[in-house]
Amino acid sequence: MQTLVQLIVMVFGICTLVFFLIRLIPGDPATAMLGDYATPQAIAALRADLGLDQPLLVQYGRFLGHAVTGDLGASVVTGQPALDQILDSLPASAALALSGLAIAVLLGVPLGIVTARRAGSWTDTLVMIGGLLGISFPVFWLGLVSVLLLAHEIHLFPALGAASSDDLLDQLQHLALPALVLGVSTAAYIARLTRSAMLEALMQEHIRVARAMGVPERRVVYHLALRNAMIPILAIIGVTFALSLGSAILVEAVFSRPGLGSTILKGILARDYQLVQAGVLVLALAVVVVNSLIDVAYLAVDPRLRRA
Amino acid sequence: MIARRDVARLLGLGAAAAALGTSSAARAAPTGTMRVRIASDIGNLDPARIFQIENQTVAGNIYNGLVKYDQATNKIVPDLATGYEISEGGKVYTFTLRPGVTWHKNYGEFTADDVRFSIERVKNPATNSAYSGQLTSIQSVEAPDKLTVRIMLSRPDPGILQKLTAFNQGWMVSRRALEAIGEQRYPLQPVGTGPFSFERWTPGSEVRLRANPTYFEGAPKVDTLVFRLIRDETAAAIALQNGEIDVFYALQQPEVITQLKAAKGITILQRAANHTNNLVLNMTVKPLDDIRVRQAIAYGINRQAILDGFFKGTRAFGYSVLTPSFPEYTEDVPKYPYDPDKAKALLKAAGADGFSLDLYGVAANPYDKLTVPIASDLNGVGIKANIKILERGAYLQARSKGDIPTCVTGVVGPPDPDSPLITLFAKQSFPPGLNTAHYTGIEDLLAKLGDTQAADARLAIYHEILAKTMTDLPAIPIYAENLFLAHGPNVEGLVQNSLFTVQLYSTSLKA
Repeated sequence: MQTLVQLIVMVFGICTLVFFLIRLIPGDPATAMLGDYATPQAIAALRADLGLDQPLLVQYGRFLGHAVTGDLGASVVTGQPALDQILDSLPASAALALSGLAIAVLLGVPLGIVTARRAGSWTDTLVMIGGLLGISFPVFWLGLVSVLLLAHEIHLFPALGAASSDDLLDQLQHLALPALVLGVSTAAYIARLTRSAMLEALMQEHIRVARAMGVPERRVVYHLALRNAMIPILAIIGVTFALSLGSAILVEAVFSRPGLGSTILKGILARDYQLVQAGVLVLALAVVVVNSLIDVAYLAVDPRLRRA
Repeated sequence: MIARRDVARLLGLGAAAAALGTSSAARAAPTGTMRVRIASDIGNLDPARIFQIENQTVAGNIYNGLVKYDQATNKIVPDLATGYEISEGGKVYTFTLRPGVTWHKNYGEFTADDVRFSIERVKNPATNSAYSGQLTSIQSVEAPDKLTVRIMLSRPDPGILQKLTAFNQGWMVSRRALEAIGEQRYPLQPVGTGPFSFERWTPGSEVRLRANPTYFEGAPKVDTLVFRLIRDETAAAIALQNGEIDVFYALQQPEVITQLKAAKGITILQRAANHTNNLVLNMTVKPLDDIRVRQAIAYGINRQAILDGFFKGTRAFGYSVLTPSFPEYTEDVPKYPYDPDKAKALLKAAGADGFSLDLYGVAANPYDKLTVPIASDLNGVGIKANIKILERGAYLQARSKGDIPTCVTGVVGPPDPDSPLITLFAKQSFPPGLNTAHYTGIEDLLAKLGDTQAADARLAIYHEILAKTMTDLPAIPIYAENLFLAHGPNVEGLVQNSLFTVQLYSTSLKA
């Protein structure tokens, strides 16, 4: 019940914030749409048609009234329901975010564990320098370099990150390179975080006791330490996934992929208020859902939380 | 009542059309998928509200007009009309329509009523068409029978044919289709009479068109057109070289053009575009109201160096706002060769040396970067130039207000001389329109143009207008745009037009 109330308050807050923030940007949909052929009459007529001539609070009330019924309005550019357009771009974003995250976890967590176990060794230093580079290089740069290298020089992957057919294999082939780029760049974060969480866990009293009692090292690391370190690791995984749903926009731009981030950006540039509102709302809901799932996962890895 | 017969001028194409109609059966069935890069997503394919070259490119393959521009020569030739007659006094245009033309998706036969509907719809204020101003001289449209359209003008307007040519408001829509689909959903469910019909839009990814097997000039040669959204030019160039796309039109970056020119199997086509990019000077702000200051700016910008260095020789010199793609083009206008000393002297004479000037531009290629060499040249003659690049929405708002001192802009449009001239220089285009110069110097010449029917007399007036604008300098043409189109080894028969679009009806794919 408490979660539900929290959710409602949050969604309401986000709706309000987005509604007013987008209207703070200079420029309005009517001038953006009429462009070079604008006349004062045409601008006034279009503004009236879009309801932009009404006081802001009236517009806000109208927006909230419709939003409650699930109607987020129609895009001013295309005339199509804004929510439909956003939901259409969600699968592509989810596919990229999920596959990117899978690569990041498969790469980052083991590297983090290995380096924590051999803290101070050559392996540790090398991996951590690699990780630092991964964090430091912007993802669009990694994307461009990988296109030049893996799509242009060696024809390993297609240069375009979105398939033109419904064929699953074709789609996976196009997804591979963007997912790899997104995955590698987030793997660096996950590796560094896993390492420090593991280091902390390995220094705990009970680990020392377990080692002194002769518990096998494998069991110490993977059963006793890792389970304790899992909480912060899960948290960063959740945040990473939610972020990459909307912020994979640079990867989407480099690889010409559709997605939530690109759709919202398109909305912002065209002052397509409805599209931006629907996009940010969906994104916020996705973050909430993912965080709830992570909460459930906490319970699974840490029995202590179940009692609380 | 009808005095002058222009049917002959249209080469009696009715008969030719009939012949073409029968030849469609002999043409091979459309095959293959042609993939064309678009730089930004489409959003609205309704001719009354269409804007942006991506929308116009897709729409150009779906719709027809009464008449159209010949892709190669820009001459106005028959399209849905087989001919037209102009009444004495030039106030009534009577079009004869091509028989047996059908709308896509079983919306029935194309008739004179559709023409009336299309024109009235653009003029109707409720449509919110950006192009209603283009058709102001049209008073009413009559459809006496299925294949005859009579357009009545409130005043003689020899330029009206250009406005009814297949582009933007000139594209014809179906009354039945619009009524069935509805205004709300029509922008992405367009219905035309053209060589391709709309199939599907995948937002953020691609647009698919399918060959119209019953097209009145015969079925197209390719079966499917896919317009793929690839924002980045470098990525598009790689995709073209990898064979992931076939056609890459409206190339902009000199580096990409040079790279593709050297690439194996890639053909580059080039022709003059219909616009120049200009530094528009607001003649109502001090000291730009002084002609000597505007002349100083013109002399002070090294335009040849911009062509050589900034554009690496890919663009052409701009003599006025018209380019060689217009029949009205002339180079016989006042010229301002780079002369920094003369510029300094003029500024001094005007008492304006050392004044500060804001250069406004939109944050889009090439306007954003182009302001840099301009500012640097102006600083060289003692004008403190500040670069103000704004994001598109903010830029349009600033420009609409009309108080910006300068802006770097061009009018991308059809090869209709009125398009740049009226849009940039007529009083009717004062802000929020594009005449941010607030220029009023050619109003009498424009009025004279409206009263003149004879082609050579009109040409002389256009030349006079160009000379006048280059004397008064409401805008300084920085360069004339060139269009570049690259295509892969399998593409045949592609004719590049002078618009920023690509027409794929004549194109085929090698097996």
